[in-house]
Amino acid sequence: MGEKILEVTDLKVEFNTDQGRINAVKGVSFDVYKGKTLGIVGESGSGKSVSALSIMRLIPDPPGRIVGGKALFKGQDLLQIPMNKMRNIRGNKIAMIFQEPMTSLNPVFTCGSQIEEVLAIHQMQLTKQQRKNKAVELLDLVGIPAPEKRIKEYPHQLSGGMRQRVMIAMSLACEPDILIADEPTTALDVTIQAQILELMHSLQKELGMGLIMITHDLGVVAEVCDDVSVMYCGKIVEAADVRTLFTRPKHPYTKGLINSIPSYDATDEGEKERLQTIRGMVPSLFDLPTGCSFQDRCDFASDKCRGFDGNPILKKIADGHEVSCWHPLSN
Amino acid sequence: MNIYIYTIRRLLYVIPVLLGVCFIIFFLFNVVSPDPARMMLDKHATVKQIAEMRHELGLDRPFFMQYLDVVKSAFTFNFGRSWSTRQEISEMIMDGAIPSLSLSFPAFFLATLISICISLFVSFFRGKVIDRLAVIFCVGMMSVSSLAYILFGQWFLAYHMGLFEISGYEFGFPFFIPYVILPIIIWIILSIGPDVRFYRTVILDEIYQDYVRTARAKGLSEIVILFKHVLKNAMIPIITYVVIRIPFLILGALLLESFFSIPGLGGITLDAVKSSDFPVLKAMTVLSSIAYITFSVITDVLYTVVDPRVRLK
Amino acid sequence: MESAQTADFSQNTSKTKVAKSKSLWQHAFSSLLKDKIAVIAFSFVLLYAVVALGAGLGIIASDWTKEIGPSYAAPTFKYILGTDIFGRSVALKAIKGTQVAMLVGLFTAMLSITIGVTLGAIAGYFGGRIDEFIVWFYTTFSSIPYIMLLMTFAFILGKGVTSVCLALGLSSWVSLCRLIRGEVIRHKDREYVHAAAAIGGGDFRKLFLHILPNVFHIVIINFSLTFQMAIKSEVILSYLGIGVQELPSWGRMIDEAKDELARGVWWQLAAAALAMFIIVLAFNLLGDALRDALDPKLKGK
Repeated sequence: MGEKILEVTDLKVEFNTDQGRINAVKGVSFDVYKGKTLGIVGESGSGKSVSALSIMRLIPDPPGRIVGGKALFKGQDLLQIPMNKMRNIRGNKIAMIFQEPMTSLNPVFTCGSQIEEVLAIHQMQLTKQQRKNKAVELLDLVGIPAPEKRIKEYPHQLSGGMRQRVMIAMSLACEPDILIADEPTTALDVTIQAQILELMHSLQKELGMGLIMITHDLGVVAEVCDDVSVMYCGKIVEAADVRTLFTRPKHPYTKGLINSIPSYDATDEGEKERLQTIRGMVPSLFDLPTGCSFQDRCDFASDKCRGFDGNPILKKIADGHEVSCWHPLSN
Repeated sequence: MNIYIYTIRRLLYVIPVLLGVCFIIFFLFNVVSPDPARMMLDKHATVKQIAEMRHELGLDRPFFMQYLDVVKSAFTFNFGRSWSTRQEISEMIMDGAIPSLSLSFPAFFLATLISICISLFVSFFRGKVIDRLAVIFCVGMMSVSSLAYILFGQWFLAYHMGLFEISGYEFGFPFFIPYVILPIIIWIILSIGPDVRFYRTVILDEIYQDYVRTARAKGLSEIVILFKHVLKNAMIPIITYVVIRIPFLILGALLLESFFSIPGLGGITLDAVKSSDFPVLKAMTVLSSIAYITFSVITDVLYTVVDPRVRLK
Repeated sequence: MESAQTADFSQNTSKTKVAKSKSLWQHAFSSLLKDKIAVIAFSFVLLYAVVALGAGLGIIASDWTKEIGPSYAAPTFKYILGTDIFGRSVALKAIKGTQVAMLVGLFTAMLSITIGVTLGAIAGYFGGRIDEFIVWFYTTFSSIPYIMLLMTFAFILGKGVTSVCLALGLSSWVSLCRLIRGEVIRHKDREYVHAAAAIGGGDFRKLFLHILPNVFHIVIINFSLTFQMAIKSEVILSYLGIGVQELPSWGRMIDEAKDELARGVWWQLAAAALAMFIIVLAFNLLGDALRDALDPKLKGK
C-alpha cells in the first residue's frame, strides 16, 4: 500500500440537542493513503458526514463538539491545532466538496471569483492575472466548456452538474493532498452522476491525492473506491478493501446493504428477483438498544448481542479486513 | 429584458397605485370627513354662511372634480394654500424640509450604521451569552414607549443635566448642530432595538447557508466570511429595509420635531392635525406616499443590481 | 357501494389530518410550556387581562376619579405612586388605563386580523382579477406611511376609544394580508388540498377547513405583535390629542407628564411608562416564543 497521509483514530463527536445529548460518532478510525480512495458508506444519520466534517473541524459548534480522538496529518493532529493553522490546511492541503451543488456556491459572486478566492488566500505569490488564468485552467480541467466565459457567470446560471464541477475545480485549486467528497453526486441526475464520478476518479489518478468518498450508494463505492468502511449508528461495523467487501462481507449489515442493490438478473421463469431489504429502521440515536446497535434488524442476533457488554468492537479477522460483530458471516 | 425596460415597466405600475392613493385621500378628506366648513365657522353660523364657505373651499363642486384636484396636486405639486396660515403649501414644505433633513438624515445614517455593526458583532457570537443578552436588550428597548424616551431625554439630559439644548432651532450650517444632537441620540436609541433585531435575523439566516460552510472549507477566516460572503448576501434584505424607510425621513421624526420645536415637516403636519388644516394634511399625505412609491421602485431596481439571481420578468 | 367507499376514504383522510395537525399544535404547546420566558410573559398578559376586566366591570379602580390627597403629592407610603394635578391616585389611573390599553389592543388586533385574513385568503385563493384588485388595494394602502394613515383615520373618525381602535385596525392589516395571501397561494396547490377537492370539497370548505388551519400560526403570531403595536400607538394618538378622551389612558398620562416634568413631577410618566413597558415586553416575548414554537422554518436558530 502507498504512503499513509491521514490517520484518524477513535474519533468521537457529540451533539447537544433540545431532546438531549447524542453521540453521533463513537470512536471511528480509518486511514487514507496517497493516491487511494477510501469509501465511507452508511445510511443517513450513521455519522459518515459528521466524521468527514470533523476532520475539517467544520462541525457547527454549538451544537456539535469533537470530544475525543486524533486525526494525524503530516505529523500534526488536526483536531488539536489552533484554528489559524487549520485554516491554512483547509482548501489548501485538504479540500472538501459537498452534497448540495445548488446551494454550496455563494450566489452573489461569480464562479471565477470564488475559485480565485482560494488561490488568493493560499497561494499569495500569484498575481491577480495569474489567479484568473489558473481559474480558467481549472475549469478546463474539470471539463467545463468555454471556461473563459464561465468564470464571469454566477452559480445560478449553471446546471447542477456544472456547479459541482465548479466546486471540484475550486477544491483542486491548491492541489490538495486529500479531497473529501461528501455525497458529491447524490443531488445529481444519474447520467451526470457517472460523469462526475468519472471525472473525480481520473483527476485523482492524475494528481495522486487521497480521496475520501462519503456516500450511501454502494454502486458509487464499487465504481471508485479502493477501501471501504461501512458505518452504522456512529460506528464502523466493517472495513475492508472493496473487492473483499463485496465478495466476502462479514457483517450482516454489509451483507444486507449489498443484497439491497437492485440487479437485472432475471430468473429462469422470467420473473425479476425480489429485491431484498434490511428489515426495520435505523434506531433513533436518542434511544439505542443496549449492546449491538444492529440487533433489532439482524437475523443472527443472540443474547450476547443484547447484553450489557454486547457492543462489539472492531476486530481484525484477516489482513486488511476488520469487522465488529459477534457472529461474523462465514462465506 | 434589460434593466431599463424593467424600470420603465415598474414605473408604469406606479400610476394606478398613485391614483389609488389619491382616491383614498380624496375619500377620507372630501367624502367621509366631517364638514370642514362647519369646523372653520363657529357653531352659530347660518346655513348661508356655511354654503358660502363651502363654495369658497370648493367643496360644493362635484366629487369627481374634487378627486381630480387631488390627482392634479400629486402631479403638479401645487397644493394650494394652508387654511390656517394662508401660506402657499409648497413654500411651507420647502422651508420645512431643511430642518427635517438636518435631523433625520444624520440620525438615520448613524442609526443604520451602528445597528448593522452591532448585529454583525452579535451574529459573530451567535448562540453565546452576548448574543442572547443583545436580543433580550433589543426587545426590552423596543417595549418602552417612544414618548417616554423623548420626555426622559429632554427632561433629564437637557433640562436637568444641561447637556443639550432643550428645544429650538437655528438655520444655517454649524448653528443647527447643537439643537439636533439630542434628538439624533434619541432617534438612534429608538431605532437600535428593532433594527438590530431585524439585521441579526437577516445575517443569521445567511450564516446557516451551505455556501458559508464552503467558504470555511476553503480556509477563509470568520471575519472575511462575515463581512464578504454573508454581508453581500444579507445586503439584499438590508437594502430593502433601509431604502424603503428613506421616504419617512422627509416627514422627519414627527414626535421628535414637535417635542424639540424643530420647525420641520413633522411639526407642520402635527400643527395641521391640531388646526384641522385639510390642505396641508392632504399635501403631506400625498407627498409622503409619492416618496414611498418612488423609493419602492428604487428598491426593486437596486434588487436586480445587487442580486444576480433576480430574473427580470 | 362506490359512494360508501369514497365516504369511508374521506373519513379516514380527515381523521389522519386532524390527528396530525393536533400533534403539531400539541408539540408547539408543550415546547411553549417548557419555555420559561413564554410562560412568564403569558402570565403577565393574563394578569393584565384580569385587571382590565376587573376595571371594566367596575370591580377595581372604579373610584379613580376620587380626590385622595393634595395636588401632585410625591409617591409615599400613603400615596403609592403619588397623585396628579387634581389629587387623584396615579396608581388607580394606571390600573384604569390598563382597561383602555387592553381594549384597544384586543379590538385593533381582531379588526386588523379580520380584514387581513379575509382579503388575503380571497386574493390568494381565487387569484386572477380578484387577486390583482386586492394586491393593488393593499399596495395603495401601504404606500401611505403608517403614521400619516393612522393620523388621518384618527382625525377623521374623531376622538374616543372606538375611533382609536378603528383607526389602528384600518391602518395595520396590510402586512398580515400580504403574508396570508402568500401562504394561501403556497398551500392551494399542495396535494392535500387537491385530495380534498377530489373528495368533493367546495371552495369555501377547502379554504376554511383545509387551507386556513395551516396558516393559522401566522395569525396567532400576528395577533401578539399587533396587540403590542396598538398599545404603543394609542399613546402617540393620545399625545396628538386625537386619542382616548373619556377614560384615563397611559397615553393621556404621558401626555400630561410632558408639562409636569419641569416641576419635577415624574411619577405619572414613570407609572404609565412602566405599566406599558411590562405588557408590551410580555407581548413581544410571547410573539417571539410563538414564532419559535409555531414556525418550523425558524427552528434551531
